[in-house]
Amino acid sequence: MNVSTHMRTRVRAGESSAFAELYDSYARAVYNHVFRLTADWSTAEDVMATTFMEAWRLRDRVDPEGGSLRPWLLGIATNTARNQYRSNRRYRAAAGAAAAAELSVPDHAEEVADRVDDRRRLATALTALAALRRPEREVIALCLGEGLDYEAAAEALGIPVGTVASRLSRARKKLRTLTEAELARPAGELALKKVRGNREGGCPGRQTRGDHAHAIRPAQEGNR
Amino acid sequence: MNANTPRQSPAEWEEGAQLFDRTTRDLPTGRHQFHKERMMAQIHELQQEERTAAPSRTGRRFRLPRPAIVLPAMAAAVAAAVVAGVVTSGNGSGVESSGGVATGPALTTQVGAATTKGVPQLLDQISLAAAEGDHPTVKPGQYIYIESRTADSFLKSVDDKTTLAGHALHRRQMWKSPDGTKGWLIDPAVNDSPEGETLSLPDEQGNTPKANLNGPSYDYLAKLTTDPDALLAKIYKETKGQGNSPDQEAFTTIGDLLGESYPPAELYPALFKAAAKIPGVVVVDDAVDAVGRRGVAVARLDETSGEREEWIFDRKSHVFLGERSVQVKQNTGVDALIKPGTVTFTSAILHRAVVDDIKQTPSRSQAG
Repeated sequence: MNVSTHMRTRVRAGESSAFAELYDSYARAVYNHVFRLTADWSTAEDVMATTFMEAWRLRDRVDPEGGSLRPWLLGIATNTARNQYRSNRRYRAAAGAAAAAELSVPDHAEEVADRVDDRRRLATALTALAALRRPEREVIALCLGEGLDYEAAAEALGIPVGTVASRLSRARKKLRTLTEAELARPAGELALKKVRGNREGGCPGRQTRGDHAHAIRPAQEGNR
Repeated sequence: MNANTPRQSPAEWEEGAQLFDRTTRDLPTGRHQFHKERMMAQIHELQQEERTAAPSRTGRRFRLPRPAIVLPAMAAAVAAAVVAGVVTSGNGSGVESSGGVATGPALTTQVGAATTKGVPQLLDQISLAAAEGDHPTVKPGQYIYIESRTADSFLKSVDDKTTLAGHALHRRQMWKSPDGTKGWLIDPAVNDSPEGETLSLPDEQGNTPKANLNGPSYDYLAKLTTDPDALLAKIYKETKGQGNSPDQEAFTTIGDLLGESYPPAELYPALFKAAAKIPGVVVVDDAVDAVGRRGVAVARLDETSGEREEWIFDRKSHVFLGERSVQVKQNTGVDALIKPGTVTFTSAILHRAVVDDIKQTPSRSQAG
């Protein structure tokens, strides 16, 4: 905690070296988070860069006490990404196009099965995200994508913890039905078209519940 | 921050997170560093704006060739923290003149604490700051002008009596053509006459030395590799057999390139990245340059001489201020006269610029 407090002090003081360290620690997380919110890697790169300049601008709003600044940065990133697509319709279009692009690449013989599976999984994630309302998507991206806990997500979004919980639970219900349907599907099929028909009644599917190791990423300190 | 408190079962949580396991990836090659450097440049620019917006300064200053020049205002306020004190046991011999600069008691300083912790981080920040500063484009016919303040201490033997003496702090000005064949030096500690002396080639022996790592011209530096590993390998190779140890010599060589030269923009950060790879490099928490500017230093101890060479940087902006050598270990024999805490050499860079003629200073020409 000491380290975090010290970092907060330095950020508030506008020490450029503190921002260099923040950047090194969290640029990747911000980049990935923004990708989930924009469905486009190059947009994610731009938004990531803007996020850190926004952070510089907003540095004196940082609470002097507290833990890692990762939730704060992800919050700024969320707001910045929001400006990319004002309407959810546009996000859906982008995510749809990105998912289709992942899946439409012709099967090169040399492309290993793993790679094909990666593409399919990425398309699935995008398709799933596109099925959510924006506030739900943001909570999902923060909590499941970046592993923030409720409190951190609430801090990032500036909303009550209870709101985070309810959005998350609603979103997860939608996702479960979607992804189970998706993952049950044989490889190579266009994920996009299947989404609509399969909202209700998830198949029990391939995911086995309850046998997972507790491999949750710690929420308070970042993945690098 | 509180403990992780997902209100769903960990299994559920994990299952949800799996959905995103293909949405994490690194930035494309080189882009992490690219955006970092851009961010740091923007931050430094904003910092400058904030600084110039302070009430004491009015109007927009034009961007100086190097931020180092912005600092003297602050530095002047810091009275020379280097304490001048008599370290020598001898007397009287200190006031003789050597080439016009009074020699006097040696400079001493507090020996700052050294640590290996944070060396890569500090050098990383320094190289970022270096990448972002303005650098010269030198046209043929122009000159690189470097103005410094320098002082040193040395052992002086008169008959069989050896004492510690030094050149008091004085101004040193150097002009050098980019190809290194023409130049001028005004340094009262070196020159016999007040107007200085020529550095133009061929020298008085009729030699035209080729530019090399130890006597680089701007053109030579501009052609050096900017790949830190290749650069360091070249430094080790070409300084082989020189100095007290290969590592120390590599460090000193880079130090010389930082000091009285104006490294091209591409090379400058590479020098710091190369330095970061030299074993034994430390961070010194507190160091003072020749004109009293306090900062943090990147340093290395020469185990043979017991001297530590310190490159001093502004603590915040990481701009290079100057360098110095401090005796940190007690020597034996006649060298024992140089007590720990003695500053054997110090040089603060006050001005680097591109000017149109020898003996022209930037105030008389719009340089930069």
